[in-house]
Amino acid sequence: MNHLRLLDALIFIIALIIIALSFIAFGELGGRPEVHVRSAGKEWVYDLSVDAFATFEGPVGKTTVQIKDNKVRVVDSDCKNKVCIAAGWVSRPGQWIICLPNDVFVLIEGSSVEEDVDDTSY
Amino acid sequence: MTHRTKMNVEFVALLAAFALFLSTVEYMIPKPIPFMRIGLANLPLIIGLGVLTYREYFLLALLKVIGQGLISGTLFSYIGLFSLGGTLASSTVMLLLFIVFKEKISLLGISIAGATASNVVQIELARLVLFGSAARFIAPPFLIAGLITSILLGLFANRFVTTSTWYKKHKESSL
Amino acid sequence: MKKNNIRLLFGIAILPALFFQNNITALFLQTLYAIFLALSSGRKFKLLPNLILLVGLSLAHLLQPNGLLLFTLGSFPITLGSLILGSHKAFLLISLIYLSQYMVSSRPTFPGKLGALISMQLFYFGQISLTWSTIVPKKPFIGAIDKLLFQLEEPSHDYKETFLSKDEKILPKVIHLILFWTLFSLGKVFANWPL
Repeated sequence: MNHLRLLDALIFIIALIIIALSFIAFGELGGRPEVHVRSAGKEWVYDLSVDAFATFEGPVGKTTVQIKDNKVRVVDSDCKNKVCIAAGWVSRPGQWIICLPNDVFVLIEGSSVEEDVDDTSY
Repeated sequence: MTHRTKMNVEFVALLAAFALFLSTVEYMIPKPIPFMRIGLANLPLIIGLGVLTYREYFLLALLKVIGQGLISGTLFSYIGLFSLGGTLASSTVMLLLFIVFKEKISLLGISIAGATASNVVQIELARLVLFGSAARFIAPPFLIAGLITSILLGLFANRFVTTSTWYKKHKESSL
Repeated sequence: MKKNNIRLLFGIAILPALFFQNNITALFLQTLYAIFLALSSGRKFKLLPNLILLVGLSLAHLLQPNGLLLFTLGSFPITLGSLILGSHKAFLLISLIYLSQYMVSSRPTFPGKLGALISMQLFYFGQISLTWSTIVPKKPFIGAIDKLLFQLEEPSHDYKETFLSKDEKILPKVIHLILFWTLFSLGKVFANWPL
């Protein structure tokens, strides 16, 4: 068990493969879609792929944004019309939801996973 | 492994103490990144593969973890958790390789496999408990450092097992 | 309750106050307190590695933006929520390390055979450190290790029980416990500060 053997080299190669795999995981950096929320002159940023709730205070009360399953929507708002809630879910970069009365603007930024040439955001 | 049935606990405690000693030696070596561990303390485990029983071997692994945790004081922290996970993984992998391949593998391959297993488990634990998905950024340097040090350690273990008279004495008495 | 195990037991009682702490300022104070405990039991505190931990974990968490945008580096958002999350993890890790060092500083004994084995291991460890310095020359290296190991197996190095006669006062430990849990409660009360 103390002289070098073929199996040693094999294990070494396997270890190298594992290291190479870790580099690949390393490389998946950036370009992840972000949810930007602008309100009262300030800006908040969230990762679209991480489920979260966030509440923002505005002139008429609170507006709550939900991120779930790589989508975002306004789930609750103190405004009268609730147009923002009716807008439902958005998930692609460039799409946005706005609550004008409460001064809350939600926008998805970043590069998308699939490129839709015919995609329009209005 | 040996076919002794009675456990020689003094021997295990001695080897475990030797592991602690190697830990402190490693501590003195200046490292560019404070939490990179070389794993010198794995030497008694690797060497023990030839002379210990199964129970003694795992007892040695356990004593190594607890002993290191007590000396550094980090036993009850996340570091202790990582140490336990890593040592458990590496000792199991090394033992399996040793049993399955016997003479077809040397201590070099065993050392590399053990270190890789240990590091992969520790990175995963760190991902779960500390870093989240950002753990993938510490993975490559950690694994590379582990590979290099385990190669050096394995080569040294090979040499030790061939050259050491102390080892020969214990090997002979365990056959 | 064995004298050696008092710090260990109180430490275990303190652990949840750290794990379930939600407020970062309170956690920071708890961390300082844990460092103080470790220092008072003879441990050292080196700023640099802890700072690296703090910065490293915070940076790692910035990769997943969360919360108020503070500024951007190029197109990379630096968010307050991520910084807080990262530094929270760092403080938790650091406070656990130093609390653990304190818990262990009175050489607690584990029950049963395992405890006896650990004591034996630590005893041999002391012997190794002593004996190694007497081994000259240290080259050839493997030969020196052989000498060391052979010497240790001689009967003169057999295991002896050592008793720790340190005096352990309960009152300071109770104060530590109360303070940690007070910080925990304060953290619950001021749960959203700073946001």
